[in-house]
Amino acid sequence: MLAAFEWHIFWERIFHPDHVFAQALWRTIYIAVLAQFFGVVFGLVSALMRRSTFLPLRILGGLYVLIVRGTPVIVQIFFIYFGANLFLGFDLFPRTVDLGLFSLSGAVVAGIVALSINEGAYMSEIIRAGIESVDRGQMEAARSLGMPPRLGMRRIVLPQAARVIVPPLGNEFNNMLKTTSLLAFIGVYELFLDADVHYSSTFKPSEYFAAVAFWYLVLTIVWSVIQAWIEGRLAASERGDRLSFLERVREAWAPVPGRLWSRAR
Amino acid sequence: MTGSPIVSAEGVVKRFGLLEVLKGVSLDVQPGETVCIIGPSGSGKTTFIRCINHLEKIDGGRIEVNGHLIGYREKNGKLVEDSEVNIARQRVEIGMVFQRFNLFPHMTALENVIEAPLRVRKLSKELAVKEGEALLDRVGLADKRDVYPGKLSGGQQQRVAIARALAMKPALMLFDEPTSALDPETIGEVLEVMKELVAVGMTMIVVTHEMGFAREAADRVVMMDEGLVIEEGTPEHFFTRPDHERTQQFLSKIL
Ligand SMILES: Nc1ncnc2c1ncn2[C@@H]1O[C@H](COP(=O)(O)OP(=O)(O)OP(=O)(O)O)[C@@H](O)[C@H]1O
Ligand SMILES: [Mg+2]
Repeated sequence: MLAAFEWHIFWERIFHPDHVFAQALWRTIYIAVLAQFFGVVFGLVSALMRRSTFLPLRILGGLYVLIVRGTPVIVQIFFIYFGANLFLGFDLFPRTVDLGLFSLSGAVVAGIVALSINEGAYMSEIIRAGIESVDRGQMEAARSLGMPPRLGMRRIVLPQAARVIVPPLGNEFNNMLKTTSLLAFIGVYELFLDADVHYSSTFKPSEYFAAVAFWYLVLTIVWSVIQAWIEGRLAASERGDRLSFLERVREAWAPVPGRLWSRAR
Repeated sequence: MTGSPIVSAEGVVKRFGLLEVLKGVSLDVQPGETVCIIGPSGSGKTTFIRCINHLEKIDGGRIEVNGHLIGYREKNGKLVEDSEVNIARQRVEIGMVFQRFNLFPHMTALENVIEAPLRVRKLSKELAVKEGEALLDRVGLADKRDVYPGKLSGGQQQRVAIARALAMKPALMLFDEPTSALDPETIGEVLEVMKELVAVGMTMIVVTHEMGFAREAADRVVMMDEGLVIEEGTPEHFFTRPDHERTQQFLSKIL
């Protein structure tokens, strides 16, 4: 016999979430933000390494991308959390890390590290493609003005590459918000583990997992609105392609590419 | 002509893989001189002036600008490539104007002009802006200071690019076919700006197919063919009685 879907549980999870839930939600958000931030940093560093004139740096950057993209993220998370301590012979991730303002559990730190390393490899590809999309003449013009390579990269090439990098970066963060759920498997108390704990004690999988799915949906929708705003700002500095903020939100959520709701332009 | 030249290139050799593009090019340019380089497509004109500011490495010979060896250091009688940071320092005294402008599209005209003075010459913002505005005024674009390159015509973009190069106060200006990507109606305004530079005594090397400009503004014309300088002389010499058969053929096609 089919168990009836108990709507009151579902509504309760959505309209009256408890304090533990709020903490799990907050944890999901800050893990995703930090992992994405460090992912961009790692991605930038490795993208620049792979463009270096120094061969060992190129090899190192290439290996990083190859290995990380060639292995499952869950394996990387387990390797870093369980493996690193044994591997190094000391506790790389102690039980809690005190950062003054707030403290993080070792699992959270390991999770952020693993997700950052994983994300860095994907960002590396995105950033490299962005840099390569900038006309070679730009760097040459910078060099001809006496700008050293780093300055030319920072002031001339990267700002132009950013236009190409930002849209896929937004999609990466959308993924990141959902990928944090894997950290439940190393005991990070985030949204998914919270749902799982309720499920285990009540055996009501549909209600709790539907509710947590709803919350992930809220996160990604809020993010897509922010993303549309950022891309709108970027496009405003270009000419011609100037979609309004609302059009971008609609475009992001239109089920078919034809932009279902947008007025004819 | 005596005194020390601004540019002294000796036997410059450049290869791309197996293809030898420059086969020993020598050229001296005196202070205040305007030299026009002409020659058929693929003869190595662009490659040669790119070697002068070391956008290309060279495989033989040597190039000095203002008495400084460009791109290399002498070490036990051998030339070793200098660091990018040192080369960047040398490029400050060499301005370059590209065929396709290469303005920075994310910066306004004024920002394009003041970027390098601010970050490389380390001028104060006020001074850089003051100099930048004066330069834009000089190329006739004072009213375009806050306009992005995408909104400028080709001729206007090239004038901004000239102002940008001048902002580093170079001792030498290199032009690689500065008007060949332009609509015919905007070529004149760029050539005017260049003639003014000639008039104030800027040292310039101009790769060009504009024979009118060469005739009027050049002190000397250099003909390149297949990676070699095959003839050089005054414009008068070139356009009345060139010695070399290849030069005669080339000029008869182009004039
Ligand atoms: N980066 C490169 N790699 C390989 N070959 C090159 C490269 N740059 C130039 N060449 C070759 O070198 C030769 C000389 O080219 P260069 O651009 O210097 O000629 P040019 O005299 O400026 O011609 P044009 O009048 O068409 O501009 C050509 O055969 C060209 O194909
Ligand atoms: Mg050329």
